Amino acid sequence: MGNLHKTVIGLNLKNHLKAVLASVLAFIALFLPYVDLGGEKKSAVNTALILLGKEVFSPSYIFVTGAVLFTVSAAILAVTSVFITSVKMLRCWQVVQSLSTLFSGLLMFSTRTMCKASGLFDNFLNKDLSFGYWILFIASFVGLVLVMNVTKTNVGYIALTILGVIWLFPILWIVLTAFRAEQGYYVGYFIPKGFTFDNFINLFTNNNVLPFAKWWFNTLIVAACSCVLNTLIILMTSYVLSRTRFAGRKGFMNILMIIGLFPGFMSLIAVYNILKGIGLNQSLMALIVVGAAGAAMGYHVSKGFFDTIPKAIDEAAIIDGASRLQIFLHVTLPLSKSIIVYTVLGSFLGAWSDYIFPSMLFGDKQSSYTVAVGLYWLTDFKRIDTYYTQFAAGALIVALPIVILFVWLQRFYVEGLSGSVKG
Amino acid sequence: MMKAVNAKRNIVTTFTKGDIFSKLSYIIFGLSNMKNGQVIKGLIFLALEIIYIAFMVMTGGHNLYMLKTLGENTQGMAYNEALGIYEVSKGDNSMLILLAGVVTVVITGFFVALWLFSIYSGERARAMREFGKKPASFLEDIKSLANENVHFLFLAVPVVGLSTFTVMPLIYMILMAFTNYDQDHQPPGNLFTWVGIKNFFTLLSTGDRLSATFWPVLGWTLIWGFAATFSCYFGGMILAMIINSKGIKFKKFWRTVFVITMAIPAFISLRVVSTMLGERGILNVLLQQWGFTASALPFLSNVTWARVSVIVVNFWIGVPVTMLMVSGILMNIPAELYESAKIDGAGPIVQFLKITFPYMWFVTTPYLIANLIGNFNNFNTIYFLTAGEPLTLDYFKGAGKTDLLVTWLYKLTKDSNDYNLAATIGIIIFVISAIFTLVSFSRSAAMKNEEGFQ
Repeated sequence: MGNLHKTVIGLNLKNHLKAVLASVLAFIALFLPYVDLGGEKKSAVNTALILLGKEVFSPSYIFVTGAVLFTVSAAILAVTSVFITSVKMLRCWQVVQSLSTLFSGLLMFSTRTMCKASGLFDNFLNKDLSFGYWILFIASFVGLVLVMNVTKTNVGYIALTILGVIWLFPILWIVLTAFRAEQGYYVGYFIPKGFTFDNFINLFTNNNVLPFAKWWFNTLIVAACSCVLNTLIILMTSYVLSRTRFAGRKGFMNILMIIGLFPGFMSLIAVYNILKGIGLNQSLMALIVVGAAGAAMGYHVSKGFFDTIPKAIDEAAIIDGASRLQIFLHVTLPLSKSIIVYTVLGSFLGAWSDYIFPSMLFGDKQSSYTVAVGLYWLTDFKRIDTYYTQFAAGALIVALPIVILFVWLQRFYVEGLSGSVKG
Repeated sequence: MMKAVNAKRNIVTTFTKGDIFSKLSYIIFGLSNMKNGQVIKGLIFLALEIIYIAFMVMTGGHNLYMLKTLGENTQGMAYNEALGIYEVSKGDNSMLILLAGVVTVVITGFFVALWLFSIYSGERARAMREFGKKPASFLEDIKSLANENVHFLFLAVPVVGLSTFTVMPLIYMILMAFTNYDQDHQPPGNLFTWVGIKNFFTLLSTGDRLSATFWPVLGWTLIWGFAATFSCYFGGMILAMIINSKGIKFKKFWRTVFVITMAIPAFISLRVVSTMLGERGILNVLLQQWGFTASALPFLSNVTWARVSVIVVNFWIGVPVTMLMVSGILMNIPAELYESAKIDGAGPIVQFLKITFPYMWFVTTPYLIANLIGNFNNFNTIYFLTAGEPLTLDYFKGAGKTDLLVTWLYKLTKDSNDYNLAATIGIIIFVISAIFTLVSFSRSAAMKNEEGFQ
């Protein structure tokens, strides 16, 4: 093995030989027992040949065939790379090796389907996978990691891909459900048999049973109002607490902190009675007023941000004869774009996802529901079967604009968030 | 100059050293202001005082008096002799009596503040005069709201709002913990009354069914809080380090993939995941289809499974938040530290243990403790995911095995109307949170050194 002494620019050949060994081991594992079909053991190559020999072709056969093909080609490329060691060669092997790993990993999810479709074994469970399979899977995975090491590719890609799939899985499910033609909560498959827009149309037309359009507008009104009011209040409070010094400032901050330690909705019953006293109960106005009244509690992040603006700027403005109010409006605010966006976004999102208070406030008055209360109401066990696809459609309608806003304004959010942790 | 004047007399010496006007202004608000040329201001003080006294005479005094018993006349049937029939006699409503009492107390609090403010203001006007200056005119006072007194302008709305919709309800609920306002004492049909600290005893002492619920729920709340906080903390940190490590391309794309879960309102993603984890949910369907299991797994119906499930789902939701936050801090760590570590031959693990983690730990301790308190009170995750279920017969009515103190509190108010117990639990949660906050205060340099950054 002459390559041990070779050096190629752009490659780290320390692990080359190990990678080749792993790849060859995976190749050997193809001929070891792969499945245990009720006592009769079959290797992967054998299974692939049997399945391809069947008259009826099922798309699921592609997995075992693919695993065999890619593992074989990966092993060939691996051995070749010992003799022709070049960056191109190794990159090529890396691609095939990753496909081999992918397919052998997918076998874990598809073997049952294949066994069923071909009539080989109906009651297959993954515990019937034989040791040959595990050697194949682990060897090709280790091979992939080592090849990536050789080509100096960050192994983090593997982790990110797997995590990304897990993270997006529920989201994919809700999107698919929203477009699913078949109604009902329980379906025995992941990808819908038919696609439709009816779920969205029903949401907006079926107003007697499910006034979603009303819910949506209710929430929009509340969100728009509280986004303006809350932002103003938060910015004003944090400006005063950050830039000015007055008697009782510390005391005020301490009181806010102590209030914050009580669970917020503990006092909702009393709030409800006070609202009743001033004639505001069961109205959207109540949501806006109560939201704005408590907004000052969230001053921390923007105060942290204002704290970082140099005081010299204020002092210069004072010497120029500006009043505190003018400084706030014309100096501080223009410098605080990111924290304004952060606060606006926060109060806007808050209104969309607030559940406890509206649910307590509105009780059975469905016409006043906000989307959070309404959608929760739809997933009640009595209704979930009838409305599951509509629920998914509604969730999508609510989530989509917010996700777009959020991804678009992510930078500000990060700045605000790191403002809360003073580094 | 002003400072010297202020320091001269405090609330006591203003009285003892003051002239007859200063002394009288302790009873007749604004007298000192009027005498020293601030007539409008003085009149406003006086008017507010008169309004308060009128309020107290008309209803306030009665409200406070009723607080003593919370009402004595139970609603019942009374014989009306004139008509010769029985009719419902309106009894006292303990709840409204308590509420009115609290409102009166808060208004009185404002009155005391007004009293102090008027004395202080009158004294300042007098001192200005004494030093041969003209006290500020009413118009100048208004103008100062935009300048040195801007805090009055900016904090007026928050203070009124907080007092009405946060402080007042909070006092009301705290007082409720000392009454017997439970299912059997619901106004207006029944009265409730003060019982002292009996509720705390029943909840904390052993032997009762309630305390047999309280202690396990508290235990699970603590376990949950630590597990949820630290799993997300380390998970997010590792994820951020992977994304930010050298050689990963399309960093923004990867970040966005994870941020999507964070952007979706929590009630939606949690409801969706909750339906997915059901016995007939898609996850069970797929696991059976893929051949991992022959029968449905009890993700949310078995106690241990459910507890692990909520922690895992919280991980799914919480990791992106930490990831975003940590990304910012990671970039702040001086690169020289890593370079010199590399030269000394430190591998990635040693670098993490000796540089990244200690730095991160130091900077994020306050965040971590705030997060811990937040997780003790993490209503959303539990309520939307399991609603506290699986239920158990060992617990007091309604409480389930994944219930936190807060969700139990919520159930007690909403489903069973045991407000006194809910309020008691609320106070206990406060005590727990306060303990952790005090720890954080004593530990955190950033909080102590608030002015350090300016």
